[in-house]
Amino acid sequence: MDAVSGWWDDYFWGSVIVLQVFIFSLILMIIFGLLGAAAKLSNNFIANKIANGYTVVFRGTPEILVILLLYFGSAISITAIAQIFNPEIKFLDIPPVWAGTIAIGLIVGSYATETFRGAFQGVQPGSVEAARALGMSNLQTFIYIRTPEMWRLALPPFGNHMLSLIKDTALISIIGLNETLFVAKQAISTTGKPFTMYIVVGGIYLAFSSVITLSVMALERYGSRHMRDAR
Amino acid sequence: MNFDFSLVTDSIPKMLVGVGLTFQLMFLSAIIGLVLAVVLLLMRLSGKWYLGWPAQVFIYVFRGTPILVQIFIIYYGLPQFEAVRDSIFWPILREPFGSAVLALSLNTGAYVSEILRGGVLGVDRGVLEAAKALGLSARQKFIYITAPIATRLAIPAYSNDFISLMKATSLASTITLMDMTGIARTIVAKTFAPYEIFISLAIIYMIFTFIIQKAFGRFERYMSKYVNP
Repeated sequence: MDAVSGWWDDYFWGSVIVLQVFIFSLILMIIFGLLGAAAKLSNNFIANKIANGYTVVFRGTPEILVILLLYFGSAISITAIAQIFNPEIKFLDIPPVWAGTIAIGLIVGSYATETFRGAFQGVQPGSVEAARALGMSNLQTFIYIRTPEMWRLALPPFGNHMLSLIKDTALISIIGLNETLFVAKQAISTTGKPFTMYIVVGGIYLAFSSVITLSVMALERYGSRHMRDAR
Repeated sequence: MNFDFSLVTDSIPKMLVGVGLTFQLMFLSAIIGLVLAVVLLLMRLSGKWYLGWPAQVFIYVFRGTPILVQIFIIYYGLPQFEAVRDSIFWPILREPFGSAVLALSLNTGAYVSEILRGGVLGVDRGVLEAAKALGLSARQKFIYITAPIATRLAIPAYSNDFISLMKATSLASTITLMDMTGIARTIVAKTFAPYEIFISLAIIYMIFTFIIQKAFGRFERYMSKYVNP
């Protein structure tokens, strides 16, 4: 483990980038998931088709392919647009960190679409009717009845989506993001200790996964706190 | 930048050359992974801590780390040790193909084991009690009652994992293997036409996903033939 000693700070900053990508892609995933679920549950034919297309495409393609396509695709598009204004420009890209964040947000968002859709459908019609009977408006029903109830149903798969997100951040190193895997590659080229360096990366991801798993367990307990007596 | 269709028609046959490698990676890892998953499952169901604990740690580690990191540890990492280079496994671990199959198998084994466990836990208590009342031994109960029902219950989740495995084979391209994704990446590096090549490849993968889904749907219907609708 001596070989790692000079690299801890690099690993730390790599982990910060992993965390940054995780947080932003989590926000994107929730947005895409909710939009997708809303589109799937709506009565609009076109919205239905678009949401179905979205889930089929992003659930059926390898993650790495989406990341590569988004990064290199956007790079040549942006370069082409920039060249209209300034022919001198040779290459422009979206920074890998953002291309990667958007890519994994889109991918996992397609899984979240199905989760949210299922959870909204799983809300007891009786609860909604009771809310109506109490004179709650549509918005009140949505905030006080539908969302808390669907949240309880959505949490376990949602936890798995968060684990997918954190693990997918490793793939962004392929387009040159300087996260932990990238740090390990540099460390290996100077120390010649590939196993040690990659095991550290594995340990970092395991730590992230463990924190997520524990948080989701705590949230689940909180989300079903009023169910405890019923059991 | 126009969408060049001639490039699409040129590159699809080239990428399909890699389909054999993608399938080899997928089926070999799926079979080895399934065997591993059953072993892990039996270890956990044994009720003996010295079997259950290692299985649980294995599953925890392999589900908690990215598959890409696992591939790198096995392919680039293990040769750091002389003991590995001198062992009988070296001919397998030396090759990117062997390393990729090993990494994918270990990874999918951990996931599938959890899926199978979910299936076993989902078997109705009443059926097991009925089996006990009929005088079946623990082993008979497992083989004739638990295993078939658990298999049926696990199919939908297993089909999702099989699709994940198919998609994960594309990561073999990161350790120089020329599967479909590996070939696509070399073509893009030469032509710099990411849209044409990667979208065509994405469609090929989507077709495979569709076929896998349909096949498992059929299998599930077959396994459910005794279930009352």
